[in-house]
Amino acid sequence: MTGPSALTLAAVLVLLTVVAVVMRPRGASTVDFYLAGQRVGIATNAWAICGDYFSAASFLGVAAAVYATGLDGAWYAVGFAAGFVPVLLFVAAPLRRFGEFSIPDFLGRRLGSEKVRLVAVGVVQLVILSYLVPQAVGSGITWELLVGSGILGLSPYATGILVSTAVVTGLVAFGGMRGTTWTQAVQFLLLLGALVWLAATVLGEGFHYGDAVSDLSTAPLVNPADDGVLATEQNALHPGDAAVFGQPGARYGGLGQFALIVTLAMGTAGLPHVMNRYFTSPTGAAARTTTVWVLCLAGLFYSLAVMLGTAAREIVPTAVADHPWLAELTVDGVLLVPEHALPVLGRIYGGDAGLGVVAAGALIAVMSTIAGLLLAAAASWGHDVYERHINPRATQRQAVLAGRITTLLTACAAACLGLALRPETFVAATPSIVATMVTWAFAVAGSALTPVFLLAIWWPRTTARGAVSGMLTGMAVAVGMLAAGLFADGGLLRDALVTPTLVAAPLAAAVTVLVSLRTTPPPDVEKSWLIMHGTAADRHAERLARLVVAENRRRRGARRTRRARG
Amino acid sequence: MDDDVGARHTPAEVDATFRTLRRVAVGYFVVFLLAVAAFPVLSLTSDWWSEARLVGGMSPGFLVAAFGLYLFFAVLGVAVARLMSAVEHRMLDDTRDDGFSAADEPPGDLP
Repeated sequence: MTGPSALTLAAVLVLLTVVAVVMRPRGASTVDFYLAGQRVGIATNAWAICGDYFSAASFLGVAAAVYATGLDGAWYAVGFAAGFVPVLLFVAAPLRRFGEFSIPDFLGRRLGSEKVRLVAVGVVQLVILSYLVPQAVGSGITWELLVGSGILGLSPYATGILVSTAVVTGLVAFGGMRGTTWTQAVQFLLLLGALVWLAATVLGEGFHYGDAVSDLSTAPLVNPADDGVLATEQNALHPGDAAVFGQPGARYGGLGQFALIVTLAMGTAGLPHVMNRYFTSPTGAAARTTTVWVLCLAGLFYSLAVMLGTAAREIVPTAVADHPWLAELTVDGVLLVPEHALPVLGRIYGGDAGLGVVAAGALIAVMSTIAGLLLAAAASWGHDVYERHINPRATQRQAVLAGRITTLLTACAAACLGLALRPETFVAATPSIVATMVTWAFAVAGSALTPVFLLAIWWPRTTARGAVSGMLTGMAVAVGMLAAGLFADGGLLRDALVTPTLVAAPLAAAVTVLVSLRTTPPPDVEKSWLIMHGTAADRHAERLARLVVAENRRRRGARRTRRARG
Repeated sequence: MDDDVGARHTPAEVDATFRTLRRVAVGYFVVFLLAVAAFPVLSLTSDWWSEARLVGGMSPGFLVAAFGLYLFFAVLGVAVARLMSAVEHRMLDDTRDDGFSAADEPPGDLP
């Protein structure tokens, strides 16, 4: 690693550590550790949600998918951004007003069933692990490119995974939700800063977006095949034709495009690390406004990522001659690993310091998402399993300790799975292994959790048995279809299998409705409805906040008066 | 669960608000779904969508995927959030008697 790269990385890590230490939980209560005292403001929470959500799949994966497949890769960006529309419409405000610790906690209390809670914990853990593994892979890729060497005899890839996982686990276990909120907010601003810097630099150096799309679309799209030789991508929309960068069809047929967006859009509402952040808002109205902020920030972020993926496709082939280090990363000017697109652009235009900025951005994206996932894992294990079932008489200190221990165990499991994977073996099969693996997490979340979640919020007849049946159906169908998709050859069937939400979510919803109609709903539905869909909780929180603000002003005024007299 | 806060509205008031909000959410979701589904349909049915050159040489399809849909999501989000808050304000908060202005910014100890 060169001096500027090392300095950039060290500066970022020191900044995040300082933020986590300064903003650590003030007390030992679970509300403080898991929910930051439920007093996180709109802007801070929007930044933190973005830090949580914009993972390696967003930062490295979207640009990589666009780099490898052109317009079809942009569907990842559209799907990731679209996910917050259903969240805004159906989830944000009622979820916060009901006010629990986690998705399993919400479902368990709303439906009055510990069985629902435990099944939801199982689904949530599967989603978290599916999401954590690609983050680990992303950190390995970034370390490999940034540092290029391992420690203690480990490969650079393995070192990247272990170092990033260890750092984040430490920050989360120490900082809890309060520290994590602020580190995620800072991480998002740094991440956006890195993306804006790269975009401004590329545009400043004469890159013309429209001309690039037009130029790239004049020749067939080529990518490295299994044997390392460039192969022309076939058009999935018009069989027999070659795929073109600026037109759809390089990866998906008509159904595949729609299925991918539905999978990503429906999955967001079931992502535990994102939904848990809504519990930290002070009111339901604040949670709703926060989501609007997130939608705007997501639009800015993803439109830049799509542009930079295009820029890498246009610029890298012509840069090989002037930058000999590109030779080992490319075949005839095309990157071997599409996830290298942004770091390579950073190095071309900013030298080692530029590579340091982009790689630090990638590590930030990975770490902030890992932090959110570990906190969500801690909340569901620590609160939903330990506090509710293993040790119901646990003190607040014991419950927080249980949460901290589960962050360690979950992080170890994800790191081990990440170490078992090698990204370059998947290049021929997926446009971006990181983005594809994250899609699996979205598929399970959107198929098993989102339908039940939406019905529990919007259909008073939902019962515990219905919810359990729906979650198990959604999970089984999604996992079964994803597994079958690994062996499918291609075409319409494979498109449907690898993005299963289009089939699995309606099935899960139908099973939930059918079973619910044959069973008895919980007795206190009316009370739950008053809390979820009424605004009394918001008014209560607003009034308390006004009283606190007024009291703080009165005390400050009194202090000033005393100082003036003394 | 914040158990002590539900008593200020009657079940009938909340139910009416809930039904209105559900109609709003489902209506906007259908608009969202149609907009997203229109892209693959246009890709399959219209050559102009993929091959025409508009601003800066980009096709209509690329322009929409690169910028248009994000703008659409943001505009839709702002519109629905304002509408939902207005519905809650009119159907629930206007009926309250505590004198607190519903237009006040939601609180938070952080910016």
